Parts: sequence; structure tokens; C-alpha cells
Amino acid sequence: MTLLDISGLTLDLPNGNRLLDGISLDVSAGETVGLVGESGSGKSVTARSVLGLLPDRATTGGSVRLDGREVLGAPMGELLDLRRHRASMIFQDPRAGINPMRTIGDHMTETLRLCEGKSTAEARARAIELLHAVRLPRPEDHLRQYPHEFSGGMLQRVMIAGALTSSPRLLICDEPTTALDVTTQAEIITVLAEQRASRDMGMLFITHDLNLAASLCDRVVVMSGGRVEEHGDARRVFREPRAEYTKRLVAATPTIAVGEASVGRAVSAGERIETSAPDTRLPSAQSRYGAGAPTRPAAGPMLATLGLSKTYHRRGKEPVRAVADASIEIARGGALGVVGESGSGKSTLARMIVGLEQADAGDIRIAGRERTAAPRTRDERLAHARSVQMVFQDPYLSLDPRITAGRAIEDALRLHTRLASAEARTRVLELLDLVGLAEQHANARPRTLSGGQRQRVAIARALAIAPDVLVMDEATSALDVSVQAQVLDVVAEIRRERGLTVLFISHDLAVVRRVCEETVVMKDGEIVERGRTVRLLDAPEHPYTRLLIDSVPRPDWDLDAVMAEASIDALSATQG
Amino acid sequence: MTAVRRIAGKLGALLLTLFLASLLVFFSRFIVPGDPVSFLLRGRTPSPDAVAAVTAQYGLDLPPWQQYLNWLFGALQGDFGRSLQYRQDVSTVLGERLPVTLGLVVMAGLLIAVIGLSAGAVAALNRGRIADRATLVGLTVLGAVPSFVGSIVLIAVFSVQLRWFPSFGSGEGFLDTIYHLVLPSIALAIVFVVLVGKVTRSSMVEQLGREHVEVAMSRGLKRATVIRRHVFRNAIRPILTVAGVLVAGLLVSSAIVEAAFGLSGMGSLLVQSVDRLDFPVVQAIVMFVVTAFVVVNAIIDILEPWIDPRSAAGAGAR
Repeated sequence: MTLLDISGLTLDLPNGNRLLDGISLDVSAGETVGLVGESGSGKSVTARSVLGLLPDRATTGGSVRLDGREVLGAPMGELLDLRRHRASMIFQDPRAGINPMRTIGDHMTETLRLCEGKSTAEARARAIELLHAVRLPRPEDHLRQYPHEFSGGMLQRVMIAGALTSSPRLLICDEPTTALDVTTQAEIITVLAEQRASRDMGMLFITHDLNLAASLCDRVVVMSGGRVEEHGDARRVFREPRAEYTKRLVAATPTIAVGEASVGRAVSAGERIETSAPDTRLPSAQSRYGAGAPTRPAAGPMLATLGLSKTYHRRGKEPVRAVADASIEIARGGALGVVGESGSGKSTLARMIVGLEQADAGDIRIAGRERTAAPRTRDERLAHARSVQMVFQDPYLSLDPRITAGRAIEDALRLHTRLASAEARTRVLELLDLVGLAEQHANARPRTLSGGQRQRVAIARALAIAPDVLVMDEATSALDVSVQAQVLDVVAEIRRERGLTVLFISHDLAVVRRVCEETVVMKDGEIVERGRTVRLLDAPEHPYTRLLIDSVPRPDWDLDAVMAEASIDALSATQG
Repeated sequence: MTAVRRIAGKLGALLLTLFLASLLVFFSRFIVPGDPVSFLLRGRTPSPDAVAAVTAQYGLDLPPWQQYLNWLFGALQGDFGRSLQYRQDVSTVLGERLPVTLGLVVMAGLLIAVIGLSAGAVAALNRGRIADRATLVGLTVLGAVPSFVGSIVLIAVFSVQLRWFPSFGSGEGFLDTIYHLVLPSIALAIVFVVLVGKVTRSSMVEQLGREHVEVAMSRGLKRATVIRRHVFRNAIRPILTVAGVLVAGLLVSSAIVEAAFGLSGMGSLLVQSVDRLDFPVVQAIVMFVVTAFVVVNAIIDILEPWIDPRSAAGAGAR
């Protein structure tokens, strides 16, 4: 039975922008349909139109039928009924999606009390039952708590339970796991799959993550620029994509699969590097840089940290051990990946190396020079900056919106060198060329650049003074996969041409695999495993590394197997 | 338990603030040019004996710190000394003036709350439409009108032309007083309505864009319910912060309005007393305004965890 039937849906904004152009898709009871696309593809707008949540003053065409009733142009009373009984929606970021000033209990019982006229006791009983169903540990206590007392994963369970209060026929999930860690993602997906099966709901699952869609969905619809590019059986779409766009998307998606014949996947940057770079096997933790400092800087490793520790002391609370005894080493021209979930200490490690935080103990050497102390004076800061530069996660925040891209790079040059204006301009253009941008981009302000272009400007700025080490802290996490692929290619290119040394911090194993020969895995401030990336992915030794790898969604096609595996791991993780 | 400790801490800070304010208020007299004794003996050519007698009578011969202690302990018992110009106890002089000013401030406060909040809400809920633009333009124009000009316009239109309201005095009895205070309280409220209206608008606009509002809409709640429970409720905090700052402003600005409408309130008394170097009265009024300001803000501080539960968890909470 068809639950949702969208046909020829168009949506125009008053300024003439066409957000959706002839979207058609359908969802049946008990079926999961994936809606896959990059930002701006219109997938979220499509999902919201099912509930009649349209942008202000937008005009629509075509039809959206939910459970046999037309949504577009429906009177308010009918829309409210559809939202209360037919379909509900789970949003991307539970921290933004649940009112921070009201209790979890209020969120859970609000619609029951205000829309369904249930008594407080009835609503409460139902809320407790649903919180149990999404496997929250103490539902009775949770009702009195506020969102800030919950972790992201727990809050997303609350959001799911809240969406189930109306016993919907159709559950719309808008990137429900994008804001979560990979192990948490696996747990949430398990809960969603359980609930869908036990309630025989239809599910419309929106994601930018091809691997996730492939592992969860029966059918997928691939969207781009407000159009449906391709739709069909999930397995077929990813194995034999027909549309040009899908082919490119599949090719750009990094994978953690080791040694398998790649399905239309471009040769990864990491592999290309491996052939040209010298064997940079990480020495054992004891022989870090041997007896005595290297006499010639060039002989030793480019970056070496020894027993680096940092503890944050907060008034009235337990101290947090952000990084404990971290020793890493990167050879000249090498790339080391640091993988971990939020709170693992990977960003603190990066901040200490860049000199934004002072280490409590330990030792940092860059190109043989001591760089342990966080710089205090202007001269120290400049010297430290010449050693190491950082590319931050969000290019929308790390570039000043008021100055042009060229000026941003030029400022870095002027600060560190005595170039004349003309020479500086030439250098800026060279640098932009290096990251694949042209002269016209030098005069553009960040606002007019795309996310990928901005991040390339940030890289060019970091490279302007030829630092010994480039630290990239989740530098591609905020980008779409195709843009991420471009940025990673730029980094690979620069590494090949200039022998740049990179410390690459990421939560995404697949991306690390693409960039780094060596990887360390961090958990709760400690390095739990280290080694060659391929070996680590292929034969993980530490249980946590294995959990991380198993949590990454894979187009396994045997959905039940993946789910069973994920739920066992999730259980052991909560017990451990 | 932590709540009790937190409130005790706030009260301690409140007392400390008041103590520092009292030092500032009392000792600023010694910086201001002019000698109170020569004011008391104005128009006469005093003999040194007379000067010494008056000085001793008002305790001005004591060392400053002892004068301060005398004043402080008196003030704690409600005795702010004697007014130099009225030759009466300051508490008596103030007791006659205070009700008028308080009535004026309370009425203006109600007007500010009702009109400011509704104007802000109307603008926010119609963001970008005509109602929003009209409200914003209206508020901006009103904000540019100083209260003495507003007073004159109100008197000219509603008292002189239409004869709806009296233009002078504060009336007798409760209802008559309210009737007399209508125009003054409007004149006093205008500027503050603009402030509250604009803060309400921007705070609500910010909340309207939040994802939890969309989530609430998606669950089938009526728009009015969503706005009451999720938009307005969450927008209160900055509005209350501004309201706390307004208290002192209202008490001080009342001087201008009282002068314009011939009300004998505290504000006009303050201006007059400064002019005549009647320092006991000035000190008492300034201490009163400071106390009102600090107490109102302390109350808002203490209420904060109930307004925003995140603040109770401290800065560590996300």
C-alpha cells in the first residue's frame, strides 16, 4: 500500500528560484526509501513538503499525497491532522530540535496533552513507554531532566520517541545521525530499524551519506539541484549507477573497505602517495627520536611529540583528562591521521601542536626545533606559526567575511615576509593556483565562494608561509562528499609536489584512509592503537578500533546482519 | 541546597554593592564645590560663632569617616538627616513625594510592558511584511522624541485641545491620582516602549528561526501554541535583562516629566535639591534609586534558573 506519493512536485520561491523541479517518489508501508543528495539538492525541502512545512510565500505545483490525502493546498485543520496522526519527522540536530528551556517530559507529552486531550497521567505513561522503546535507561527520571543534561545520542533517542508519540504511519528522518559520532550513529540506526519493523511504518530517510543509505534502505532516490537524478533498488543504484551524477557521487565517496575491487571508485589519493613516499613506518613508542636530538633537522621526523598531556580543571567539577601521554611522530613528507570520536582529545592534541594550548607535560618538536611552550610574545607566535599552520573545520567561520580571499592570503604573507606589494600579489596568485583557484577568486569575499572554495582559500592561506607541518582539524567534515573529494585531491597534489607534512584529524575513518599512510586511534585522551592505515582497517587489534570500524555503515546488502552486529556492539559499548 | 547557596551569594553581592554605593554617594559631597554651611546661612553675614554653631548642629565639624558612620547608621533606621532647604526630616520630605513618583513609574511600567511587548511581538510575527516595517518605523520615530517634547505635545493635544485629561497636578485620592497620571506616564513610557519593543522583536525573531520551533510545528501544534510555549517563552530572558536596566532610567527620567506636568514627585525634588546643595536629600534620593536598581536586578538574577534552566548548570552546559 502506498503511504506517500509525490508526483511532479515543483516549488518556487517568490524571487524566482526554483528549489524543486518535478520531484516524484513514493513510499509504501514497511519500506525504507532513501533520499540522497548533497547540500542544496532540495532533499530537505521535499521532506518538509510532506508535512506542509513550506518556505514562506513559496508556490507549489504537482501533488503530494499522504495516506491518500492531498497535502498541497490543504486547509490548516487538515494539515494539523496529518501532522498529528499520519506522519512525523526526526530532525538532524537533536540539540537544536528540542526546546532547551523545557523538560524532556514536556517535549514528550506536549502533543498528547495539547492536541489529543490526554490527561497528564496518561500522557506520562505513554512517554515512559516510548522512552523505554528507544532504550533510554531511566525513563521516569528522564522526564524531569532538561536537554542540556543529555548527550547527543540520548537526545536523538528522545527525538525519535517524541516523533512516535503520534503513532505515525510514515516516519521522515532528515539526516538523523549526521550530528552524531559513528558508534552512536550505529545505535540510533538500530533503534530506527527496530521501530520501523515493529510498527510497520514507512520510512523516508534523508542523508548525504551514500554508505548509510546503501546499508539501510530498500530503494533510493538520488537528488541534485532540485531534480531526481536516479531512483531504483538501492543495491542496483550503488553497484551500477546509471546517471552521470550518481556515478560521480559514488566515485567521490570515501570507503573504509580494504582490498576490495573498487566500484567505479577513483584511485584514492592515499594509494598514489604511498608509491612515491618513502616507507614511513612509525617507530615503536619507545624509540621515538632516539638518544639525543637530531644534529641535522632534516634527518629526524618532521613532527614528534613525546608524552604530551593536558588536563582541564573546572571549578567544582571533576578534572577532565583531555590528552594523556600522547606520543606521535610524522616523517618528513608523511601524513598521520588521528581518529577518534567527540571528546577523544584529538582536537586538544592539535591545538597543543599549533600552540593554541599549553601542554601540562611532554614535549613537541617540529623539524627538530623545540615547540612545546605555547607562544606568549609576538616573536614567539610568528616563529611558531612558521613551523605549523592549521586548517580549521568550518571555512564559513575561519575566514573573515569582510576581507577578500586574496587579501586574507596576502595578510599572512606580509606578516611573515618582507615581500613588496607586487611580489606578494604574484605569490597570492601562485598559491591560489596551487589549490585550484583562479585570479578572479582573489577579489571575491568569502560570502560569494562555495564551501569547498573557502576551504581551499583556507589551505592556501595556511601554506602561504610554507610551514613545516600542516594540521587539518576535521577540515573536510563540513563539506559535501564531492567537494570533500576535490579538497582531498588538492591536498594530495600539494603533498606530491612539495612533500608537505600533514597531521590529519578526523572522525571519519574513510577520509583518513584516503589521505594518511599512518593512523593513530584516540579514545578518552589516550592513543589506543597506531599503525599503517591499511593494516589498522584490515586487522584492528584494539576492541575500540574494531567498534569504530564496525560502526561505519557499509553497503553490505545483508541488512539484518549489519543490524545484529551493530546492536551487539552498541550493547557492549554501553556496558563498557 | 545549591539553590540556597546561590541565592545567599547573590544577596551577599547585593549588600556589598549597596555598601560601595553608599561610600560613593556620601563622599562625593566632599568633591562637589560649594559649602552647605554658607547655604544654611545665606543672606546673612555670620559671626564665626554662628558658623561654628551651625556646623556643630549639622555634625559637619566631625571627621568625614565619622560623619559617614553617623549617616549610615541613621540611614539604616530610615533617618537620612534633615533637609537643609525645608528644615524638615529628609524622610518626611521624601514620604510626601515618593507616592507620586512610584505611581508614575508603575503606570509607565505597565504601559511599557503591554505596548512594548505587543509591538515587538507583532513585528516579529510579521517579519518582513508591512506590519513589521510600520511598527519599526513607528518605534524609531517615537524613540527620537525626547520626553519633554512628548510631554508638551501630549498636553497640547489631550489637555488643551481635547480637554480629556488634566495638565497639572497629581490629584486627590486613588482614582483621581491615576487619572492625573495618565498623560505623564505616557510621556515617561515612550522612549522605554521603543527599547522594549525592539528587544522583544529581535529576541523573538531569533527564536522563530530556531529548529525546535520547526519541530514543534511539525508535530501538529497550533501556531499560537508554538509561539506561546516555544517562541515567547524562550525570548523572555533578554527582555528581562533590559527591563532590569530600565528601572533606574524610569526613576531618573521621571524628573523631566514631573517638571513638565507640575507634579511634586521625587524627580523634581532631586533636581531642586542638587541646585540648592541640599545634600542630605540628594544622598537619600540617589541611595533610593541605586537600591531600587540593584534589588530589581538581583531579583532577576535569582529568577534566572527558572527562566533558563541551562544557566543553573553553569557555563559548562551546552
